[in-house]
Amino acid sequence: MERGLPFETGRSSGGELLVSVKAPLTFENAAKIWEGVNTLITGHDNGRLVFDLAGVSKVDSAGVALLRSLERLCSRRGIELRLQSVDPSIRHFLDYFEAGAQEPRPCPPAIAPIARLGAFLLDRAIELREFASFCGSVLAASIRCVRQPRRLRWRECLYYFQLAGSDAMTILFLFTFLLGVVMAFQAAVQLKLFGANIYVANLVGLALSRELAPVFTAMLLAGRSGSFFAAEIATMKVGEELDALTVMGFDLTEFVTLPKVLALMLAAPLLTMWANFSGILGAILVSGISLDLTPYAFMHQVYTALTFADIAGGLLKAEIFAVLIALVGCFRGFQTTMGADSVGRQTTAAVVSGLFLIIFADAVLTVLFYLLGW
Amino acid sequence: MTSPTDPETRYAISVQNVSLFHGEKMILENINFCVEQGRIVTILGASGCGKTTLLKGLVGLLKPAEGRFELYGKDISALHARGWLQWARKSIGVLFQSGALIGSLTLSENVALPIREFSNTPGQIVDEIVRLKLAMVRLGGYGNYYPAELSGGMKKRAGLARALALDPNILFCDEPTGGLDPVISAEIDNLLLELNHILGITMVVITHDLPTIMAISDWSIMLDGDARGIVATGPPKEMEKSPDPRVRGFFRRQSPGAKTG
Repeated sequence: MERGLPFETGRSSGGELLVSVKAPLTFENAAKIWEGVNTLITGHDNGRLVFDLAGVSKVDSAGVALLRSLERLCSRRGIELRLQSVDPSIRHFLDYFEAGAQEPRPCPPAIAPIARLGAFLLDRAIELREFASFCGSVLAASIRCVRQPRRLRWRECLYYFQLAGSDAMTILFLFTFLLGVVMAFQAAVQLKLFGANIYVANLVGLALSRELAPVFTAMLLAGRSGSFFAAEIATMKVGEELDALTVMGFDLTEFVTLPKVLALMLAAPLLTMWANFSGILGAILVSGISLDLTPYAFMHQVYTALTFADIAGGLLKAEIFAVLIALVGCFRGFQTTMGADSVGRQTTAAVVSGLFLIIFADAVLTVLFYLLGW
Repeated sequence: MTSPTDPETRYAISVQNVSLFHGEKMILENINFCVEQGRIVTILGASGCGKTTLLKGLVGLLKPAEGRFELYGKDISALHARGWLQWARKSIGVLFQSGALIGSLTLSENVALPIREFSNTPGQIVDEIVRLKLAMVRLGGYGNYYPAELSGGMKKRAGLARALALDPNILFCDEPTGGLDPVISAEIDNLLLELNHILGITMVVITHDLPTIMAISDWSIMLDGDARGIVATGPPKEMEKSPDPRVRGFFRRQSPGAKTG
């Protein structure tokens, strides 16, 4: 065998290029034979190649694939390939795969890039329409539950309230406390230059209550609760629990969606107030250390600077964000198709859509509040 | 076939004095049987009798509390995890109940996964192997489909193609016809028989589907939950005539309390 290759080369009686394989045609040898023969037939275009299998004791599917790949390669180069001295048992094996490989192959239709773009846009439009319809069904279910409060599943509501609300307090505290620290530090550097230390309280108080506390709370809710809602509903769908509920006569919006939406609506304003508190606490700490402001002076300035509209505007934003996060989380969950990967995709989509909706809604509300003079 | 100490026969699988637990609960106690190379053995019994637990033990997913599982004379319980994986990936294939295809990969990618990962086969030959394997399970042309786009029977056949990707010597199947209609079940049975006859693969099939048991088994092993072990072994046609009410009841689809005619 040449240079450790599992075959020998020579010339047949008819002068054709002869490859005598001397090892099993298996996974172990397929790569060596493929590379060796590839090199060997380079420059032998339009010739003839005889593959002698007299020394082959065993063939597996890698061997069959190797022979078929070689056939294809030779045919591309105009080389005529012939097998010789094939053991009957190996012939039987080759024929078996040959028969299978000749079956008709229904292939999925190929889609042109422009058609794919069209399909993508169409899908988004359909998704938007479905989301609107989903929001409508939640609104209708809410009205039914306002008329008949007993229809609402209060226990589930409290469960999700705990999950989205009290369970999130620690992380939200850390989040906004550090935010308050950073804001106060950054403001202190600038305001010290003008001897306007006291206005740190105005800056932090206003920024937190009007903007940062509701937005940061909503982002945390989208990451924790929106994803949880989507994953829970998606898993229920994959496990056919939603189908079971439907055939038992339950309204899925009332049973699955409404408790989550209500829980988030209850949790969001409370968490926003908690975020206001912890952010201001962080700012007081920094002001005390670097600006020599007493906590009393800081809080007095906050009371002077803030109006009811500032706090209420922030809470209204939080309420709207909460509804959007809960709706989009549940909607993505319902969009799940069969398969574990779909659960993951929809959970990610819930977070991404939630974050987008928060920023979009914040921009709209800020402009609206400005126009209304709030 | 069931004597673990017969020195004349070359056994593909030998189960010796094995006891298996699920947490604190003993599921199977002192199990003994052997499977000859190239045979199809069905493991049958009512739901909850420990069939899947036994399969998990045979494929190395569950360590026996006592005894040993031998595949070609190699004690798999004694092998450390890495050694077992290296040996097992080339010697055994497992068809899971649901097909267990990876949802984010197409059928071709699912089948190619073990070949690309555990052999140095060139890409062109891997593609050809994948085509052959899919054609073998009558899924030629479905390579670009994702598992979610397939029916239950197609998923099982695709799972079979993946289990056979590296030409294993032993194939373990967990309920290959479970949840399928009789026509598709018969198709899967024929496929298993064909693979056994032509490729000589030894098969251990976990099932409680009577037509499958009768169609494919060379030998059957019946487990019983109350006995926590084997209650009967033999060719299914002989087991049908067993005087043991548990075995007779299983084959005649009668509950233990029902009157016989």
